[in-house]
Amino acid sequence: MNRRDFLAGLCGGLAAGSVLSNRAGAQARRLGMRYVDVTDKAGLAFSHNSGAYGGKLLPETLGSGCAFLDYDGDGWQDILLVNGMDWPGHKRIRSTLRLYRNNRDGTFSDATKSAGLDIELYGMGVAVGDWNNDGFPDVLITCVGQNRLFRNTGKGTFVDVTKSSGLARRRAFSTSALWVDFDRDGFLDLFVCNYVKWAAEHDVFCSRDGKEKFYCTPEAYRGETCWLFHNNGNGTFTDVTATSGVFDTSSKSLGVAMLDIDQDGWPDLFVANDTQPNKLYRNQQDGTFKEIGVGSGLAFSTDGKARAGMGADAADLDGSGRPTVAVTNFDNEMVGLYRPTGPRLYEDAAMRAGIGAASRTTLGFGCLFADVDLDGSLDLLVANGHIDDTVRNIRGNVGHAQPPHLFVNQGNGTFRDSAAEAGREFAQPWVGRGLACGDFDRDGDLDLLLTTNNGPARLFRNDQIDGNRSIRFRLVGTRSNRDGIGATVRIFHGGSSQSRLVKSGSSYLSQSELPVTFGVGRRDLVDRVVVNWPSGRTEEYKGLACGKAYECVEGRGVTAMAP
Amino acid sequence: MSPEAAFTSTARGDRPRVSFRTGEAQYIDERKGVDHRRGCSHDATILEVVIRRSGRRSSPTTGLLIGLVITLAAVVADAWYMTRQISGLQALQTDLAERNRQDSLQLLRIQNDLNLLALAMRDMLDSDEPYPLTAWSAQLERIRVDLDDALRREAEVAVASRTPEQRQYLGDSLAQFWSAMDRMFALARDGREDEARAQIRLSLQARQAGISTMVARLLVENNEAEEDTARRVQAIYDQVQRQVYRFVTATLTTILLTSLYVIHSNRKIFAELATLSEDRRELAQQLIATREATLREISRELHDELGQVLTAIGSMVGRAGRQLPVGSPLQADLLEIREIAQVTLDKVRGLSQTLHPSALEEAGLEATIDWYLSTVKRQTGVAVSYERSGAPRPVDTAVGIHVYRVLQESLSNVARHAGVDRAWVRLRFAPARLELEIEDHGKGIDVESPRRGLGIVGMRERASLLGGAIAFSRPDEGGTLVRLTLPLDDGAVKDDEGQHSAPAPVKHAG
Repeated sequence: MNRRDFLAGLCGGLAAGSVLSNRAGAQARRLGMRYVDVTDKAGLAFSHNSGAYGGKLLPETLGSGCAFLDYDGDGWQDILLVNGMDWPGHKRIRSTLRLYRNNRDGTFSDATKSAGLDIELYGMGVAVGDWNNDGFPDVLITCVGQNRLFRNTGKGTFVDVTKSSGLARRRAFSTSALWVDFDRDGFLDLFVCNYVKWAAEHDVFCSRDGKEKFYCTPEAYRGETCWLFHNNGNGTFTDVTATSGVFDTSSKSLGVAMLDIDQDGWPDLFVANDTQPNKLYRNQQDGTFKEIGVGSGLAFSTDGKARAGMGADAADLDGSGRPTVAVTNFDNEMVGLYRPTGPRLYEDAAMRAGIGAASRTTLGFGCLFADVDLDGSLDLLVANGHIDDTVRNIRGNVGHAQPPHLFVNQGNGTFRDSAAEAGREFAQPWVGRGLACGDFDRDGDLDLLLTTNNGPARLFRNDQIDGNRSIRFRLVGTRSNRDGIGATVRIFHGGSSQSRLVKSGSSYLSQSELPVTFGVGRRDLVDRVVVNWPSGRTEEYKGLACGKAYECVEGRGVTAMAP
Repeated sequence: MSPEAAFTSTARGDRPRVSFRTGEAQYIDERKGVDHRRGCSHDATILEVVIRRSGRRSSPTTGLLIGLVITLAAVVADAWYMTRQISGLQALQTDLAERNRQDSLQLLRIQNDLNLLALAMRDMLDSDEPYPLTAWSAQLERIRVDLDDALRREAEVAVASRTPEQRQYLGDSLAQFWSAMDRMFALARDGREDEARAQIRLSLQARQAGISTMVARLLVENNEAEEDTARRVQAIYDQVQRQVYRFVTATLTTILLTSLYVIHSNRKIFAELATLSEDRRELAQQLIATREATLREISRELHDELGQVLTAIGSMVGRAGRQLPVGSPLQADLLEIREIAQVTLDKVRGLSQTLHPSALEEAGLEATIDWYLSTVKRQTGVAVSYERSGAPRPVDTAVGIHVYRVLQESLSNVARHAGVDRAWVRLRFAPARLELEIEDHGKGIDVESPRRGLGIVGMRERASLLGGAIAFSRPDEGGTLVRLTLPLDDGAVKDDEGQHSAPAPVKHAG
């Protein structure tokens, strides 16, 4: 291409881009929902304690996570917020996990103490799963140091079973984690991401000016392998990290998402690494994984660069069953949106989809796909916030606190950032980290929980204004794991279909509710619902009414849940 | 003017005079005499000079063509040269720079893999991991796969300077490394982890370091090759830049020389055109002067000679008739002869006045115009309204004859072409100029038409001859308005006149 062609193409491209942009703007649909900040009204009084005292220790900038879980089994989503703590020798306050029980009236009660979670630890992330299949969700808290596994007694309390389960004496800088039945034996196994080999006593001095200490980048530390613990089904776990093929000491992992890249019913794992290539572990159906990140195109950016991967999520965006992967990255690296292009092949389509440019100046952490406006298309939510509280002095267009992204799916492969449209409170700048969604008020739409670093957690209630409805499913496995994690639910309506994978983890340090939500617009019925259980069983239900939540018990059919 | 009319030009001062008839040119030097047989005097020199000048004038086309050819040749030569240089540059960039870049990328990939190997081996030697050495096998296998792929791609794009020995050494070294690695893992699988770690420390790390050093050396070589290529590319750029300067200089010089030549040629052409125009003007004015002189001569001859003869004949016939008996046939014949002579005499006098109004010399321009206008109705059928204004001033005959001729030509045009039988004549004496307007409301004329008659040309020449101006326009009512404006300086006014007071405007209709 000569210069004239290039200039002509550029001018044409700019002109066409301008026209298309204007046209897209003109045709953009009005957002049919709002996020209302109900944190105070709901009674959430949580503030994250990073322990920062001036020592500029690496973990201070990264925490922490949150989860929606129904810990008491009443069908109402409760909230668990992970907290850090003051560093040894710099004790100022006592800060613990916080468990908020849903009062079923839009408010929550602090049940931390009564639940036995009034524990100080330097927590990072959370993964919720009923690993002992007793019908009550258990909780893993990832920590800087020793991770903690809490078994739900079913009586509103948790018991620390870290030691008895065999997870003790494993100290690391753990981050995101998820429960996955990777061998489909009916028991949830545990995958834990570890960031770098870090300990307060070995902290590295990093500085911009050679005098004042500053937070180090991960290059200053050695990587740490992720862990995979196999659930023995007897209350104990076996470390199968080495034998399963996920062992990799070069990884600096922050986010993990479960997905099924080849629709073989066997869960695969995508791991977002910071300054290292992302990893895609393909389940070889024999208890082992094969890492195919580079070959699949998921490891790097389009220009072959290993980015600072933070959070990740995967979902079927086009009804094909093939998951799209979203990865949040550092500012100036853009959110990665990897669309499937072939068998186990992906391409970063963020720029084309309208997500790349919009996320160029934000540093993303938590991210999740959710149909926020219940129009039948999955949207993408991203929690943003920089790690450097002085970044504004260095880069004028990047702030420490940053507004979240709400990329609303336009239905044509592109997205439009509609955060501002979703509400002034929602679009405020936050130093966002964790992000989870769940229907805490059981009105059928997905509310949002956002944690901030060294700041409060915020609960945003989703208010639909267009009258769209959803259909929700809570899966209960019998032969499969009790939570049905790894099951695929597919609904068919009007010649199109949507699918959801029941999953733990995803986002960043956080976990969304386990029930799956489908937006169906203003439909009254869905034609068919097909559930593929991890056990291999397939069930089909027909003529289910929309605007309701259903409980699907493996092998026993579906029942509408009480409103 | 008839094509048979003779054109005579009088040069200023003592310049020779030339004349020619249509279809033939004859050159007669005034100093050698006047050829009365041809009916005019001649001055050959001007035309001779013009013709000679025309014959000598060289066309600039040849020079321009030469300049164009030189310029085109320079462009073609430069384009050829540029194409060659760009081809060379392309070849350099494709064959050397691009290949070198791709090779370096693969070497960097290999180096990165080797670094990952080093880090993995470091971790394997550390005892802080609770995993057996075999845990690293998958991680190392991934590195191995990537390393093999990088090596294969590197071999495809390896620069030409890479020796077979170097290629062989790299491949062999890596093969030996992986063989040692396999042995190490075999030991680890056998539970001999200490021996395996010793293998890492003693063998694998050293091999990795050696391979890494070699890859680093290859990268340095590539870097040097890149620098060499960059120098060659820069040399080509410099050469092209010099060539561009040379080309621009040559082109500008050619353009400058051509422009100078064109300017020079144009100046010559314009000078010759100016001379030709002046010559033409002189010829035209001389023609007019000659025509007037000829007409005056003929008029005088008619009036003085033939008129006298006819007058004498009339007198003599009258005297003879009176001597014959009244009523005799002979007397009747003589009386008839006398009447014929008288009629002829009147006609001769009229013709004489038409050819050259003697009234101009005798009574001046105003009287001549009065007389002429009184004859127009009778001669042409056109009724003329005449208006005179301003203080009349005596006009020199040499000027007045031209004013008269313009009036005569204009009214003749009205009679012949306008298709109307009415015209208006206005004579205005301004302090320093004389204005004559002849207006009709007929068909009008197109003075810009290339087929316009010689009459208009003649009127213009007369105006120009007197330093005045003549304009042809269309009145609002249609038709033609001829406006002649002449400066009235001392030369145009008779010396013994000028005592006129400003009379009231005179109007009369013919």
